[in-house]
Amino acid sequence: MQLTGSHTLAAPIEKVWQMLMDTDILAKIVPGVSRLEKTGENQFEAISEIKLGPVSGKFSGGLTLSDIIEPSTFTLNVSQNSKIGNADASIKINLVSVDAQQTEISFDGDAKLSGLLARTGQRVLSGVANTLTKQFFSNFEEEIVS
Amino acid sequence: MSNKYIGKAVKRVEDKRFITGKGKYTDDMILPGQTYAYIIRSPYAHAKIKSIDISQALTAEGVVAVFTGDDIAQSGINGVPAGWQVNFKNGDIMKEPPHPLLVGTGSTVKHVGDAVAVVIAESKEIAADAAELVEIDYEVFDAVVNPADAVKDGAPLVHESAPNNIAFDWEIGNPKAEVDEAIANSHHVTSLEFVNQRMVPNPIEPRSAIGLYEPSSDRYTLYTSTQNPHLIRLLMCAFVLGIPEHKVRVVGPDVGGGFGSKIFHYTEEALVTWCSKQIERPVKWTSERSEAFITDAHGRDHVTHAEMGFDKDGNVTALRIKTFANLGAYLSTFAPAVPTYLHGTLLQGLYTTPKIHLDMTCAFTHTNAVDAYRGAGRPEATYLLERLMDLAAHEMGVDPVELRLKNFIPPFDGVNQPGYQTQVALQYDSGNYHEVLRRGVAMLGYEEFRKAQAEAAQSNKLLGVGFSTYIEACGIAPSAVVGALGARAGLYEVGQVRVQPTGKVSVYTGAHSHGQGHETTFAQVVADKLGIPLEDVEIHHGDTETVAFGMGTYGSRSLAVGGSAIVKSLEKIIEKGAKIAAHKLEANVDDLTFADGKYTVNGTDKSVAFGDVALTAYVPHNYPAGLEPGLDFSSFYDPANFTYPYGCHIAVVEVDKETGKVSLKRFIAVDDVGNVINPMIVDGQIHGGLAQGIGQALLEGAIFDENGQLINGSYMDYCMPRADDLPMFELDRTETPCPHNPLGVKGAGEAGCIGSTPAVVNAVLDALWSGGFGHVKDILMPTTPERVWRAMNS
Repeated sequence: MQLTGSHTLAAPIEKVWQMLMDTDILAKIVPGVSRLEKTGENQFEAISEIKLGPVSGKFSGGLTLSDIIEPSTFTLNVSQNSKIGNADASIKINLVSVDAQQTEISFDGDAKLSGLLARTGQRVLSGVANTLTKQFFSNFEEEIVS
Repeated sequence: MSNKYIGKAVKRVEDKRFITGKGKYTDDMILPGQTYAYIIRSPYAHAKIKSIDISQALTAEGVVAVFTGDDIAQSGINGVPAGWQVNFKNGDIMKEPPHPLLVGTGSTVKHVGDAVAVVIAESKEIAADAAELVEIDYEVFDAVVNPADAVKDGAPLVHESAPNNIAFDWEIGNPKAEVDEAIANSHHVTSLEFVNQRMVPNPIEPRSAIGLYEPSSDRYTLYTSTQNPHLIRLLMCAFVLGIPEHKVRVVGPDVGGGFGSKIFHYTEEALVTWCSKQIERPVKWTSERSEAFITDAHGRDHVTHAEMGFDKDGNVTALRIKTFANLGAYLSTFAPAVPTYLHGTLLQGLYTTPKIHLDMTCAFTHTNAVDAYRGAGRPEATYLLERLMDLAAHEMGVDPVELRLKNFIPPFDGVNQPGYQTQVALQYDSGNYHEVLRRGVAMLGYEEFRKAQAEAAQSNKLLGVGFSTYIEACGIAPSAVVGALGARAGLYEVGQVRVQPTGKVSVYTGAHSHGQGHETTFAQVVADKLGIPLEDVEIHHGDTETVAFGMGTYGSRSLAVGGSAIVKSLEKIIEKGAKIAAHKLEANVDDLTFADGKYTVNGTDKSVAFGDVALTAYVPHNYPAGLEPGLDFSSFYDPANFTYPYGCHIAVVEVDKETGKVSLKRFIAVDDVGNVINPMIVDGQIHGGLAQGIGQALLEGAIFDENGQLINGSYMDYCMPRADDLPMFELDRTETPCPHNPLGVKGAGEAGCIGSTPAVVNAVLDALWSGGFGHVKDILMPTTPERVWRAMNS
């Protein structure tokens, strides 16, 4: 499943970068995440609960960051397991400064799904992903303001 | 003898319990001390199991046991076998890699849904929750899902023992060189590359099995939603668990549809039986719907290139086919027979094609098994032939009806005229193929339709008509023939008729009923043959303990083979009854006539009722000397030939030029299934088959992604035909009796599904051709609006 999107946030690039690297903030703004812990340099453990159409599940697994070039790009590698199937994704995230107060964030990646997750509701999944993305950006905006 | 029931639309006696919710299915049963199994399945299509940790699950409250493939391997249990052996062209035996009940540590799982471990607990919920505590570490590999890709060099291997993933290759027909020459010399050659997509059978009742081991008697009982209990017992005892057959009872109670998918011996049946022995308690497993999508055997899945040659007058000169058939990851029970003997042998169709050659390659892929699904090989053959016929007519600018009529085999009754010997091994029994097409065309109102079509071509709603004429080989099957073709079992049927002392009749048949209405149709036959009321007859099936033996229900065989076995027993009953009646009437046996439930001395009014004869047989105080008491006979009936139902299906569709949406406006089916015992049940069978065949053309189809994940494994994603997708069917039939079985019946279970699919797709193409899209040769099934729109806009 392809994951792509972009959004312009009302914050300078350095601030956006700093927030993305802060696990406490990320845990708040990423939809569904109930726990995010740093386990090593650029390595995290995450637990999340996600409802995808009729399918809901509790996911756990690792997140790693790689190819980091501050403050413009990094790759997020996700490996999440659940009883309804596993999700493995690699997502490249890019930040571009629009002006001193605005930053465009874009991402492009591919997710491999398996199990029940793969065979149920694939057609609604991209819609779900869009919803989650919108939620993420709106949470992000709220966090910038607060 | 007058028929009070045969040929009449008697209401189905089984329906009362079904429609009032009183049917008894496997999952309805709760045995004392019953436990529940949850099977942990691979989420990956191709992966090595690096480790399995069951320690946490074992300590969970309510968990009785957890077993892995290592436990199975240690107890020396074999995998489930294939029931049919097909050899390579060069004579080598097909590749038959083991299909373990559970895949063990260090081994590779070969499809999403492959079973890895089983958790047994006090409830279904506890078992499912504990399954989450089992930790399995996989190393994931690349997968292959398409049969034509699977055989290419470098494709991921499903089994090390099967190079290039080839289970076997196979051919049938005339020598290839002769067919090549005939194609080369043809005036016109119609060529088509197409896919017959993978279908999910989707019976309404998911599979379920309960294993019961009783230490007191050292006996096993397996309750399972199966189409053939005796065959499951034979395969499970002799090939998998190594339990003596007389120690095992298999019961297939009410079964909510099968469509072929419940013929096969599945690993779960052997697994619950084995588990029950380990824990000495009953073990029940019931498939979830989502689980059914990835563990039930699927159907079809062919990738084909076919060419049909014609001479300048439009006579078919030759047919040359190359097909790759997907068998999935393991060989299911009938899998090797479906693309070969149930498909290649039907490529004559209804035509006099003088040269035919099929080159078949059967491949393993990282998908669940593919096996028989309503029609089993014959729909694939019909789809191929009938798509070619309509396309050839379009290409040559001739009428598709005229092209068929010109090429049909002339009428023959199989009695005064001999059967028709095909180029592909079969001898057809009887048929008048012109008649069904002529009737169908008359029902359509062909000329008026073409006028309406020409008008519609100017609008945004195109009209199209598609024709399909089919033949199938049913009444499976003569044992000697199928034995020579690789079947590992005979395919006769058993019918026992037990007349009770009061004249009531219990019939035991090996032909399991799971929607076909045997309890009614078979009773109609028995009641009429004995001249007794229908209510005095009860049909028993589905239990190896009560039915002597049987080969089950599939291949439209129940009445032709199972019914014939019952008729043989009835003849024995009537013959013995005559001796008793003669004694009672003080007459000669040869002077008696049996009709309308009584034996009458010819030319007199002296008679004795069947019930009196029955009572005398069991209370033999005044009885013929030397004659055994009792009135109870069992017969094995092995058919002399297959039966060959045939027919003509015509679809009329409307195609929206702007959206590509196809609406089925009319569907005409004229079928010849031989003699008809219950026309209402035959109509019902045709209706259901049509819905499934039309479903394939318009809506259904399993889709695997490149990682081997089934991405439409739910009813949100897999589109089943619904009532509003279908028009009122217009049915008619001709009745050409089968010359070689006592009832003259041919079989009706699969006909609707075999003929309908190409009719619909042909109609879609005809609509496009009428609207100026004459260049479109094919649209992949299902013909979704997007595909049809793209075909018009490419």
